[in-house]
Amino acid sequence: MLSEKEKNEIETELKQYEHKRAACVEALKIMQHSRGWVSDDGIHDLAGILGMTPDELDGVATFYSLIFRKPVGRHVILICNTISCWVMGYNQVLRSLNERLGIGLGDTSADGRFTLLPVPCLGACDQAPAMMIDNELYGDLTPEKMDEILGKYSWERD
Amino acid sequence: MITVTINGKQIKLEKPVSILEAAKMTGIKIPTLCHHKSLEAYGGCRLCLVEIEKMPRLQASCTQYVTDGMVVWTETGRVVEARKAMLEFLLINHALDCPYCDKAGECDLQDLVMKYGPAAGRFTEGKRKHPESYDDPIIVRNMERCISCTRCVRMCSKVQGASAISMVNRTSKTFVEPFSGGRYNCEYCGNCINVCPVGAIMSRLHKHTYRPWFIEKTVDTVCSFCGVGCSVTAQIRGNSIVRIIPESEKGLNRGLLCNRGRFGYDYISNSGRLKSPMIRKNGSLQETTWSEAFMYIAQKIKEIKEKNGGAAIAGVASGRCTNEDNYVFQKFMRLVVGSNNIDSIAGFAYAPARKFFEKIFGQGVTANPIQGISRSDGIFVIGGDPTAINPVLGLQIRAASQKDIPVATVGYAPGLKGFAANRLIPKPSTEAALLAALLTEMLKRKPLPAEKTPFEEIIGKIQPVSLNEAESACGIASGEISACVDSLSGMTNPALVIGRDIIQRSEGQANLLLLAALAQALNGRIYLSSELPNEQGLIDMGCLPDMLPGGRPVAVDSFRKRYGEFFNAEVPSAQGLSLMEMVEGAHSGNIKALYVMGENIAFNIPDNKFVKDALSRLELLVVQDIFTTETTRFAHVVLPAASWAEREGSYTNLEGRMQHLKKAIDSVAGLEDWKIIAEVSKVLGVDMNYRDSRDILAEIAKVSPLHKGVTYEDMDSGECMWPYKGEPLRHDLNIVGIDMPDMKALLKKPEKDKVYIGVDKVLFHSASLSRNSFALNSIYSEPHAKIGKNLAAKLSVASGDHISISTGAGAIELAAVIDSDMPDNIVLVPNNFEGRGAFRVMGWKMNAAFKAPALDGMEAVLKKLERVSAEVSE
Amino acid sequence: MEKYLLRNIENPNSADINEYVKAGGYKALAKAMDMKPADIIEQVKKSGLRGRGGAGFPTGMKWAFAAADPKMPKYLLCNADEGEPGTFKDRPLLEKNPHLLIEGMIISGHALRAKYGYIYLRGEYPQAKDILEAAIKQAYEKKFLGDNILGRGVKFDLCVHQGAGAYICGEETALIESLEGRRGQPRIKPPFPVNEGFLAKPTVVNNVETFSNVPYVLEIGPEEYSKIGSSDCPGPKLFSVSGHVKKPGVYELPMGTTLRDIIYTHCGGVTGDKKLKAVIPGGISTPVLPADKLDCPMDFVNMPKHGSMLGSGAVMVFDETVDLPKVCLRAIKFFEHESCGKCTPCREGIGWMRSILGRICGGTGNAGDIDLLLEVSKNVMGKTFCPLGDGAATVVQNFIKNFRNEFEAHINNKVRAER
Repeated sequence: MLSEKEKNEIETELKQYEHKRAACVEALKIMQHSRGWVSDDGIHDLAGILGMTPDELDGVATFYSLIFRKPVGRHVILICNTISCWVMGYNQVLRSLNERLGIGLGDTSADGRFTLLPVPCLGACDQAPAMMIDNELYGDLTPEKMDEILGKYSWERD
Repeated sequence: MITVTINGKQIKLEKPVSILEAAKMTGIKIPTLCHHKSLEAYGGCRLCLVEIEKMPRLQASCTQYVTDGMVVWTETGRVVEARKAMLEFLLINHALDCPYCDKAGECDLQDLVMKYGPAAGRFTEGKRKHPESYDDPIIVRNMERCISCTRCVRMCSKVQGASAISMVNRTSKTFVEPFSGGRYNCEYCGNCINVCPVGAIMSRLHKHTYRPWFIEKTVDTVCSFCGVGCSVTAQIRGNSIVRIIPESEKGLNRGLLCNRGRFGYDYISNSGRLKSPMIRKNGSLQETTWSEAFMYIAQKIKEIKEKNGGAAIAGVASGRCTNEDNYVFQKFMRLVVGSNNIDSIAGFAYAPARKFFEKIFGQGVTANPIQGISRSDGIFVIGGDPTAINPVLGLQIRAASQKDIPVATVGYAPGLKGFAANRLIPKPSTEAALLAALLTEMLKRKPLPAEKTPFEEIIGKIQPVSLNEAESACGIASGEISACVDSLSGMTNPALVIGRDIIQRSEGQANLLLLAALAQALNGRIYLSSELPNEQGLIDMGCLPDMLPGGRPVAVDSFRKRYGEFFNAEVPSAQGLSLMEMVEGAHSGNIKALYVMGENIAFNIPDNKFVKDALSRLELLVVQDIFTTETTRFAHVVLPAASWAEREGSYTNLEGRMQHLKKAIDSVAGLEDWKIIAEVSKVLGVDMNYRDSRDILAEIAKVSPLHKGVTYEDMDSGECMWPYKGEPLRHDLNIVGIDMPDMKALLKKPEKDKVYIGVDKVLFHSASLSRNSFALNSIYSEPHAKIGKNLAAKLSVASGDHISISTGAGAIELAAVIDSDMPDNIVLVPNNFEGRGAFRVMGWKMNAAFKAPALDGMEAVLKKLERVSAEVSE
Repeated sequence: MEKYLLRNIENPNSADINEYVKAGGYKALAKAMDMKPADIIEQVKKSGLRGRGGAGFPTGMKWAFAAADPKMPKYLLCNADEGEPGTFKDRPLLEKNPHLLIEGMIISGHALRAKYGYIYLRGEYPQAKDILEAAIKQAYEKKFLGDNILGRGVKFDLCVHQGAGAYICGEETALIESLEGRRGQPRIKPPFPVNEGFLAKPTVVNNVETFSNVPYVLEIGPEEYSKIGSSDCPGPKLFSVSGHVKKPGVYELPMGTTLRDIIYTHCGGVTGDKKLKAVIPGGISTPVLPADKLDCPMDFVNMPKHGSMLGSGAVMVFDETVDLPKVCLRAIKFFEHESCGKCTPCREGIGWMRSILGRICGGTGNAGDIDLLLEVSKNVMGKTFCPLGDGAATVVQNFIKNFRNEFEAHINNKVRAER
């Protein structure tokens, strides 16, 4: 079941488009924003208000890599693994994240705090290597900066 | 004029087409895996790449259109190399399990690899893994074989309009999946199976049962399920049909089928088929010989006729039997038995509606090509869900809707949800008020002309109904009604698709009059939904108490005389009894003998108990059928008939198209229905002398003024359309005998707190025949009662809970399914399953105008049953 | 050169409408409102402005096609799905100078008689969404947007639609599919978007930078505009420079500035003054250039003559320490991840190239692998539905063409590189 807040936000989005389905990616994001990810039930509920079949919506949802159809941690780290970041030290940054969080790419930390995902280019190549945690961009990364950055997302800060 | 040269051959075209199509016209085949003629071009597989002079790149011929002066080469070294490369790519993630795969032998990929492909692939890493899914009873998915051509998905969304599968993920991780996961939540049309070029989506029912090269012959015939009459091809091995498929070039269905047509044919090989004639002896049916059975029937008929007259004998014909069967049957009844007592289930809705519209507009007014629906500029649907009754016709409506043609539906039509811009769902039995308001508003916008035709005079006399009056009667907001009128008034030649639910009512005639008036106001074409393959044939062949073959009224002396003279016999002049009158007659004792051909009247007529009582009072009940039914249990003689696949003949579909039903396999035990009747006739002293169905058709072609000179060869051309080569009855412009509806009575509201019972037409079943299909039963095995969400809340019922539905006639217990689109005070129950059909508890009133049962206003009491609920999927 | 596109961005409040107006913003709009739509199109044609997304199609011509189509309504879409790796040139426009884009779109909308515009913003730019939406709100308040723009009775509505991570949506037909709420797969062309685009209506899709040039064309006039930079494709151009340069960032320079100038004059040269080994000049899909080919003028016309393309103007610089086969592998991994899966050669071929490259870089390559890789790339090249596959094949072919010895070294020495 959609929450009132989700419903209201989706209704606002629907007004921007002539066809309901055009708002589907936005609707998926609204749900993802409030729940972290989009479950099968979520797809079912959203499809109903978008005038799509769940199959159609799932086809769309799985096409876009920033829509998560599996559970993710409290915070999602998107680390850029493409050319400029890779040249400028991606491997060291990734390794330091692996060590600090105890997880590899695609995994969620044991405490459910972080999910680490690769992303192709964040458009921050001048600050390479870069990553984004939730909606926050971090550039010119070095292993040394990691503790401070990850510290911002610790339990205590919630 | 466009001139293109393909492989040195020059062709001229009026309008641009794709290179692929242009090449096909010249007989050049360009290979493709993603293109399919039922679907829009896609351009994904890249197999159809060709070389075009002056263009540096190879071009996909499915998406590239020809231009004047274009020079195309389809098999150059470059092209062949490219195809080889594409095939090598496709095999990277395609399981090479051909020896095990059922598609082998008819696999497009396999064929192309044989022709162009590399002898060995150079890809050495592992393929993607995706275990075959057996979670569905009908469809097996093997995504390791999928080549992402998306034909299935495009078929499902663009043609079937169901969007029950989609491509998920992207990159080489793309595959096809129903959202429901394992089991499909779909219409099981199987059209995805049909278009899959490889073995990724296959029929589980046929898994490992045969290989394409085992097929010994194929027979092009007509589907046995509904009044659309889809062309099907039966593939035969030994004396059994191994598969039914549609051919994309053939018939009005152009490669499409529904679940019934594709999978439901397996009833013919059900082991429960009747195998021997039986005669009731000492209270039980006992096997006997054909000759003894013929003798017995003839003797009894003779006795009854002598004692009570021919009018004490009645015949029930069948919309599942051929024109030839039905023609012979009515001839037998009229000329041998001497009675016009011949009718069928078609007399309940299809025939009265057709007769009514013909009285107003002239004979053949409903004979409109189904293909015209998607080409019309508007569609109005009422009286049932065409996507369930006549699925392939329903697809025409969906196709139209996808082209943004406005669709309006009146009543509960779940299959058109999402396709109809105007969905009006009135309270039970209040459609007349809604129709009258629609008409009133339409006439305001398009007034009748000053010079009126007789029918326009009649329309002018129909009492106007305001939007508010309609709103208060049928519960639909006046704004919604007027929005529908807005949509209707933009249509210039819409299709009106009319189903039985609006006809089988006390106010059925008023509904039809209002619809005729609306058709006149909209300049619409009328399509009558038809649940049986040959309802139209019943009318044309004279299986009506008041009509002779060719649609000639019995009451007119000259027609009767001419028909009689042909055989040197006399046609009785007294109008016969309708089916419902026959049942009443049997109950009251006026009818002593009933001869039933291919119909299960004890189940398919409302108030089963009354019918059974009537049947039990008969002195003679003869039933020809292919299965033991509720009706055969009361019979004195049961005769096994040949099934649909085991006989030759013709069907006439709802558009008035005659189609050739061909014999696919030999009958297990039964005889053609006409042959049984002819044998009885012979014993009674009238030798009809037919060698085969051709002889009968030849006689029809002489006797019926409509069917002059019709042959099977005409039908094989695919265009044997009404009025064939004959003469329709001249239309009498002076319309007599139409009662003006009493609007005041029609505006009364249904009682708010009452719940009414109606018949649910289930997509997966067809009357009582489909219960013998393993395939259809595995899709839909249990009847459910459908209720709306408010009613469900009131009863505290969740989907899957059991409820009891009781009426004055009895009670049944069913699992409930909740559909939020249903009106609040109605429960819908299908009439397909033995002992649990809607007609077990539904009563009827006689509609005097139609002499047919009216099913409205049947109150039911619903109760929740405390029982462990089973999982219900729908 | 005086900056136009990036003017005022040092101002911390550059995204605010008042600051923008103070710096002369929305004057071009006022001018445009006094012009006939056809005249605006004519001026854009005359200016020689070419699309900045990568293909360099003449903007005025695209507009004229859409304007000539009688179907209404018409739609204006801004391609802000900047996803080509190495490209971040639109980011300062979106985040620092949103009103320039908005002004450009309103003018373009007026020129095309379009009533609706959408900015299709990539999912990876969450801040830009907030900034754009705030700017649009301000523009409505000032009556630059809405039903009666500047009291002239012209209507134009604009909103932001954000993607969710799919590079292919930068392709204009895929962008339209995505905007309609479908899987972002490219459509068959023709019909082209200018005739049948969004909701099957005439649609113009232009890049952020293209729209941002439009006010400038009106401001200084097409004649003056056409004098900036290269004669065949004039105007200011944004270059996003990254990798081994001292001062990476976005530079607004005249079209036709040489690669050498960009790297050594504007970006201060190679980091640590190391030797430069290779440059990808226009985003990942453009052919890599070796160090001796830096004197090419960066524009749409001249770059092909020097063996590469301008693309999005995303310059990626690699010093002598970079293992280029691994850069190639990275690039191919990107294309594999972003292949939409529609057509065979892209869907299957890129993955295959990735696996061959993987074994070369992983130290398990075989002698024939380079030739096999080239052959697979040849089988992809020119056969895919959209240019994405070509991009991947181009990368492989040009890396091998220019640096074959490095690939051979991996195979011969069985060097296990870090992947």
